[in-house]
Amino acid sequence: MKKLLALLIFVLMFLAACGGENTSSNNDNANDEDTEENSGEDNDEWALSESIEIVAPAGAGGGWDTTARMSAQVLTEESLIDQDIGVVNKEGAGGAIGWAYMAEQEGSNHNLFVSSSPILLVPLNGQSEYGHEDFTPIANVIADYGAFAVAKDAKWDNLNELFEDMKEDPQSVTIVGTSAPGSMDHIQFVRFAKAAGVDITKIKYVSAPDAGGVTQVLNGSADVFSTGVAEVAEQVRADKLKVLAVTSEERLDGEVLSTFPTAKEQGIDETFVNWRGFFGPKDMDPAAVEYYENKFKELSDSEAFAEVRANYGWNEMYMGNEEYKQFLDEEKENLKSILEELGLLE
Amino acid sequence: MGAIEGILTGFEVAFSWEGILFVLLGVFVGTFIGMLPGLGPISAIAIMIPITYGMDPTLALVMMAGVYYGAVFGGSTSSILLNAPGISGTVASSFDGYPMAQQGKAGKALAIAAISSFAGGTISVVLLMIFAPMLASVAISFGPPAYFALMLLGLTAIASLSEGSTIKALISAVVGFMIATIGIDPQTGTGRFTFGSMNLLDGIDFLVIALGLFAIAEVCYLVMNRHKTAAGSGKEIGSLKLSKDDAKEMSGPVGRQSLLGFILGILPGAGATIASFISYIAEKRIAKKPEEFGKGSVKGLAAPEASNNAATSGAFVPLLSLGIPGSGTTAVMLGAFLVLGLQPGPMLMGDRPEVFWGIIASMYIGNIFLLVLNLPLIPYIARILTIPRPLLISLVLMFSLIGVYAISFSVFDLYLLLAFGVIGFLMRMFAFPAPPFILAFILGGMMEKSFRQSMTISNGSISILFENNISLVLIILSVLSFAFPIANSIWSKKKAG
Repeated sequence: MKKLLALLIFVLMFLAACGGENTSSNNDNANDEDTEENSGEDNDEWALSESIEIVAPAGAGGGWDTTARMSAQVLTEESLIDQDIGVVNKEGAGGAIGWAYMAEQEGSNHNLFVSSSPILLVPLNGQSEYGHEDFTPIANVIADYGAFAVAKDAKWDNLNELFEDMKEDPQSVTIVGTSAPGSMDHIQFVRFAKAAGVDITKIKYVSAPDAGGVTQVLNGSADVFSTGVAEVAEQVRADKLKVLAVTSEERLDGEVLSTFPTAKEQGIDETFVNWRGFFGPKDMDPAAVEYYENKFKELSDSEAFAEVRANYGWNEMYMGNEEYKQFLDEEKENLKSILEELGLLE
Repeated sequence: MGAIEGILTGFEVAFSWEGILFVLLGVFVGTFIGMLPGLGPISAIAIMIPITYGMDPTLALVMMAGVYYGAVFGGSTSSILLNAPGISGTVASSFDGYPMAQQGKAGKALAIAAISSFAGGTISVVLLMIFAPMLASVAISFGPPAYFALMLLGLTAIASLSEGSTIKALISAVVGFMIATIGIDPQTGTGRFTFGSMNLLDGIDFLVIALGLFAIAEVCYLVMNRHKTAAGSGKEIGSLKLSKDDAKEMSGPVGRQSLLGFILGILPGAGATIASFISYIAEKRIAKKPEEFGKGSVKGLAAPEASNNAATSGAFVPLLSLGIPGSGTTAVMLGAFLVLGLQPGPMLMGDRPEVFWGIIASMYIGNIFLLVLNLPLIPYIARILTIPRPLLISLVLMFSLIGVYAISFSVFDLYLLLAFGVIGFLMRMFAFPAPPFILAFILGGMMEKSFRQSMTISNGSISILFENNISLVLIILSVLSFAFPIANSIWSKKKAG
């Protein structure tokens, strides 16, 4: 009897393990069951015939994962798509594991994934055999902007003062970011430094994963924190950090955000967008691409998604298939020349 | 609003019936997830985010916090019973917990773990409540040189973690170091020792190594020695009751390591895993009978268990008071804050006191629930050990495989797990201790990172390590910690001679 009970506990644990696994890969299933009935009848030329899988090529909780999950949720709740949407995490190697998985889905019309700048940078660094050319860009939906922040009592009050010092001695200033050299936080700073005429090959960049960036600027270990706007807004509000510049074209909306000067208004003609959007595999049916393009447009225009954007501090940035593709090609050329100059191009 | 008023508001939220319900739900899910090897609080909380969308933010966060510390609480169960750590924070709990269970004292081991966890959790919540606003500055006081020195101090204890040959312990540690360098080097962005394989670009997950070296190696060992140890099967669970002596023995480590764990938890990046290791080592260092450690010592189990739970509360200090997530789990929680329309940061306490204090206050209740939930279940859970050994071995193997697969859904990791299992088994056959390996792996990665960061900042000058007060003190302590046992042994030899 006692043994039976112990065995029962074990079996329960096992079931839970399997259950847990399912939920993490397919969390929307439970919520979606009620919408299943009214699927099928669709007036579009190309209709969904099975459930969709959206891959987040990163772990749970990150930017790609939240974009995928929140989009899936709004698409379902607003009945924009009547099929089940499952979000799957294919984590690893800065996205390369997920992209390799997507490359195997060639020709599929039901597999999508979320991506952003790393899909340009990681292949350029030589760490992924697949780049955006190997997939079908469907639509961009959101944008984040970067910010360069320093401690409240730092000697620089604007970007030009910082760059003047860096022109004299680039090594006197330590830049800290979350990602590795050659990826986003580093490159966005380098782009502006280059536009200002700093010798970018001598820039001192420290990579501090685990959110060490804010800490290092606050305790004086590093001077400039190169990161996303959302990461520093709260610190500015609490009067701990000040933002020298944001990377957007125009000032951002919001009580605190609108006080951040752009680099452009300080005379440095450069911008950087951390765009984020959806891709399909290679050789996706053009009719399917068009179908998704429209759905993501509806998603982007919906009020529910506007609320999601507001909560996360994301900006609206819709681009359809053609425009997106062209944007990506240009962006990649631009990044390529910078990485080449830094000697990081593989 | 003053702090006292804030605290009262927090208790009001936590003691409302919804508050109690969600805490209960959170700790229940957490305990369960913690017990299962591989599945950890990160994935559980990430899954909860879309579900809690639109919920009252305080209640949602109270629940998620419950999952987090509940998992750390429950994670010791599988470490103790199966030598298969439920989460990375409870690896150190298997060092003495598993031997204790093997000696027919599983009930006692689980009771010690539960009570130490409860005490660690509760002591740290008290500290959190009183000092949270002030401790924010501690969290940011550690720059890269200080982290380097802290990791160095941890490493000086390798020798003390070993039984028998010091040379073998050092070899074990060097291999652990080497394994820690696999993957993308964060300071240059290039892959190291990946042999062109994408699967190794992220390095090897800590749990893959821990489950391999402990659980799988144990499975191999049991299979190889099935005849020899057959007499030990059909194990006793033993009484749950702790004797007065046990209680007395526990009280010291629990008190000390709750404090140490809490402080280490506050430091972003250190977290429950590092805290549990350092506490284990610290307790062994000051123990009167260090030779008992690793063989089922009460202190050796109580120390990491109090520490990892205390560190979990500590991790809320930078999250709630600075908006800086110090660990993977708190990073996901930061995301949850945003979804729920809150901005964690220095302004949270003033802007939304009910959230700030509500979460903290709920931890008191959560810890009590965990104790009440776990203690009565011990006799049932411990009966896992009475399952016939062939069945038990296959179950451990299966859980380890499922657990590792659940980390990143990668089949490659399963091969790695088996490889580390074989390595662990061979190490055991040739008497190479596994704890130094795992310690070097976990501390080594962070030590290298902080050293390289320091060197970049100082343009390569090593003096940066001695310019900062915190790192200077820690380095002096490391030197003493390293030199003391050597001096001691020379001294005692002289005396004997």
